[in-house]
Amino acid sequence: MAYAANTPAAMYANWGQRVGAYLIDYLPVFVADAIGVISRNGIVWFLCIIASIAWWIYNRCIQAGRTGQSLGKRTLNLRLISENTGEPIGGGMAFARDICHILDSLACYIGWLFPLWDAKRQTFADKIIGTVVIPA
Amino acid sequence: MLVLRRSYSVPEHVSMFAVGAAMAGAVYPAAVAHTGWPGLPCPLRTLTGVPCPFCGMTTATVAMAHGAWGSAAAANPLAYLLAVLVAGTVPVLLARAAGVASGPRPWPEAIQRRARWAVAVVVGLSWLFQLHRFGFL
Repeated sequence: MAYAANTPAAMYANWGQRVGAYLIDYLPVFVADAIGVISRNGIVWFLCIIASIAWWIYNRCIQAGRTGQSLGKRTLNLRLISENTGEPIGGGMAFARDICHILDSLACYIGWLFPLWDAKRQTFADKIIGTVVIPA
Repeated sequence: MLVLRRSYSVPEHVSMFAVGAAMAGAVYPAAVAHTGWPGLPCPLRTLTGVPCPFCGMTTATVAMAHGAWGSAAAANPLAYLLAVLVAGTVPVLLARAAGVASGPRPWPEAIQRRARWAVAVVVGLSWLFQLHRFGFL
């Protein structure tokens, strides 16, 4: 099911849900990085960084790309899909979407707030990649 | 025909975020002082030196949360607009929570278009203000 331009905003995940999913996704990264810093051990720190990157690739790219649901989105019953096809976007595009989140941060992080007022509740990254987040 | 409506209107969403930001702004100086956290720098200004239209909002929000209205205006007058928005929408939110107001109705497309233009103008003016504040104009 493609999401047309006139789909009501209520059909998209709201900002609070998306923030919650994002925090859940990055909680393991935060914990691993905190362990790395607190350990004051170069090898432990390095392993924690590698583990963080591996988790990000697995969770945010592979899982979210293949199924539409990262850990956070699965927990909050959300799904990331292409607005054109209505299907998950694949690992490569999920990776590209996360890279595009850099643009959401560029102007005082305003892109992250866009789902508050955008008709499709999209961030800049969503607009560039053509994705929407919907209730699963 | 089934008409799906937002639980909250766009101004209400922004207003609720602003209330949350004001609450965070109230404890922000203490959090920074106790943790040594450097805060959230604007990536655009950090990378290029050029401010964005929203630079100063953290300073303005913190100032406003502590009643320093002059400092808030000097940092970013957009904070005043948010304060007006909060003052206008909180009674509506409370009335709805009490069950005496109905859900938000979508604005006509022409009004939405004008609102988008108005926001674009305000953001543009804010950018000019920030460029002046940082010595570019």
